[in-house]
Amino acid sequence: MILNARRNFLKQSFLGTAVLVMSANKLFGAVSPLQTLALVWEDLFAHAKENTPYISLILNHSRVSDEEKQFLRNGVQWLNEEAVVMYKQMYAHLDSSQRQEVLQSISDYRWGNNWIEMMLTYIMEATLGDPVYGINKEEGGWKWLHHVSGVPRPKEPLL
Amino acid sequence: MASSRQRSAASKRAPFMMYDVCIIGSGAGGSPIAYELSNAGYRVVVLEKGKYYKEDDFSKDELAVSRREKFTPLLKDEQHVINDRSGDGKISRYVGSEYNWSFWNGSMVGGSSNLMSGYFHRMKPDDFRLKSVYGAIEGANIVDWPIGYEDLEAYYEKVERIIGVSGLVKKHAFLEPRSSGNFPHARLEVSGVTKWFDAACGSLGFESFCTPRAILSEDALGRKACSYSNFCGSYGCATGAKGSARAALLQRCSAEIIPEAFVYKLQSDADTITKAYYYDKELNSHAITAKIFVVAAQAIESARLLLNSKNKYFPKGMANNNDQVGKNLIFSAGGSGQGRFRFETLTKERQDELMQRGVFFNRSLQEWYEYEEEGKRLKGGTIDFLFEHANIISRAKKEFYNEEGRLIWGRELQEKIHNSLTASRVLRFEVFNDWLPTQHCFVSVDDTLKDKFHMPVGVINLWGHPHDIKVGEHLAQKAVGILQKMGASEISYSISSSPPPNLVAGGCRFGNDPKTSVLDKNCKAHALKNLYVSDASFMPTGGSVPYTWTIYANAFRVADEIRKTLTQTLHTRQI
Repeated sequence: MILNARRNFLKQSFLGTAVLVMSANKLFGAVSPLQTLALVWEDLFAHAKENTPYISLILNHSRVSDEEKQFLRNGVQWLNEEAVVMYKQMYAHLDSSQRQEVLQSISDYRWGNNWIEMMLTYIMEATLGDPVYGINKEEGGWKWLHHVSGVPRPKEPLL
Repeated sequence: MASSRQRSAASKRAPFMMYDVCIIGSGAGGSPIAYELSNAGYRVVVLEKGKYYKEDDFSKDELAVSRREKFTPLLKDEQHVINDRSGDGKISRYVGSEYNWSFWNGSMVGGSSNLMSGYFHRMKPDDFRLKSVYGAIEGANIVDWPIGYEDLEAYYEKVERIIGVSGLVKKHAFLEPRSSGNFPHARLEVSGVTKWFDAACGSLGFESFCTPRAILSEDALGRKACSYSNFCGSYGCATGAKGSARAALLQRCSAEIIPEAFVYKLQSDADTITKAYYYDKELNSHAITAKIFVVAAQAIESARLLLNSKNKYFPKGMANNNDQVGKNLIFSAGGSGQGRFRFETLTKERQDELMQRGVFFNRSLQEWYEYEEEGKRLKGGTIDFLFEHANIISRAKKEFYNEEGRLIWGRELQEKIHNSLTASRVLRFEVFNDWLPTQHCFVSVDDTLKDKFHMPVGVINLWGHPHDIKVGEHLAQKAVGILQKMGASEISYSISSSPPPNLVAGGCRFGNDPKTSVLDKNCKAHALKNLYVSDASFMPTGGSVPYTWTIYANAFRVADEIRKTLTQTLHTRQI
């Protein structure tokens, strides 16, 4: 029961709860983690747009650790705080070139580099994983790289 | 999927049932014993921690198998502590779950043999007498084996027939003596790039040969041939061609298999194991009684089970009154390297050869299994060549950084991935040499950290002898020379003391002296009448080859010894 309660709490907090963004120790505002992550995906890899529902799959995945999920969420907060420091705006309110500047800036921090690399990894999973996961539509990612999947293909996703 | 048939077999078992043999672990070390003794009519039960997956359950789902690591436990549930000893003797403690450092391989019926690539090499006669032939090395606990190659040869041959080994025997300087002619199964199909490779080796004066594989090239042994799916290592085999302990042995015998059964403790009196206790997946405890117990849970976990099984007769752990359990843990030393072939340097014909899918590379060299340096004979090793794994996500991940080492994204990344994955291919090599046993590399159990079964986790105390690096470097340089001759670019390699989790042995070495070994030459514990350890734990030194063939062969040998014991018991009773 306790385990279930904790799991439900984490699930709620990863997906539903807004991330609070601070500036100079004061509350600047709140953002939806999913919305920010979807936009970051587009900024990192144009083709990722159609696969953004995969973010929810990862945040709910039984075999992705709570620590990794928490880091994903923390990154949303820190990314927005960097946007506020640089442009006094939330990430989603910046134009495309400003968002690229923010990404370049955080990539100089160890956390930022790790966070972007994690995003890129999940983007590649969504681009090149088996379509049984609701991603890689019409095997577009595989066609892009002339890749032929091994057989047999999975009958159901591992969630 | 876990087999409901197998579970119902477990639930129907009479509580008082006495088995002839209880085997803990269903991998390459345990399964030959299950196969041989159940086929000989003995009542055998196999307790396996993982689930029971069969051919129909396997797919080439990279996300499930390689990214989410479906076949290994979550580290938050089960993990190891790693005490890493640096050159200056400083020890750093790493808790596996905190550093995402996993030593699990395949937690499933058949163990990691389901996921192996099946590169099969026998050990050489001199591997059995490393100390006598090459002498002692300071800081290393090198000993000769209590048996010789000639004691194991018939069992190597048996593995070729029963597990199924394909290849082509070619005479070379270090080809081990063989009692049979060629392998029972023809060699697998190979890439056209092997012609470039053979030509390069020829011009360098090196002798390469076709790598023997535990993969069927034709329908045989009630199993289907390889389908050349291009996804072999790390994946379960959907045709049954791969000679896993499950496909080749457990599915071909009547041993009772209880999956999802974690053995947490052995009980004994002064000289006999009386019970094995296990938890089912609901954490209910059960006990198994048997005449003979065989531990084959993989080297680290076998030592851990013995160390966690303390009682008044064995206060430091089962069979550990001489403090030998867990000692002299070894891995395979060496490392790996690679070179890339890019389209712009190749003719159209060669480009097509390079991109052939599914077929294997299968080339090995043992030219430097022994070599001379400054007038001294040194033990060298094996080099296997293979194409980079077909996993597309992991190949794309390798392109995240540009030549300056900066993380890239957007169009720059997109183009880099496309160029690398559609117009080039990486040929890799793996070096296998001896990981010398030392007093600093051993298994213990943690004082505080417990797993989900509330048992102390295993501690892997790590140290690699500097000599291992020296030999690995020598071999890697030779492999680099071949890649250069072939015209590869971006050649790199890494030889280090980092332990490969899938190539682990030792911890319960066998020997003639109970003061310096846990097991006798038949892999029976010196201190107990009915306890055998039959996984790679018994190996005092590991040879310079992957271990699986030797593990299988030795387990078939141990099966014969156990059969003799059981026959004698029966005979005594009849008298």
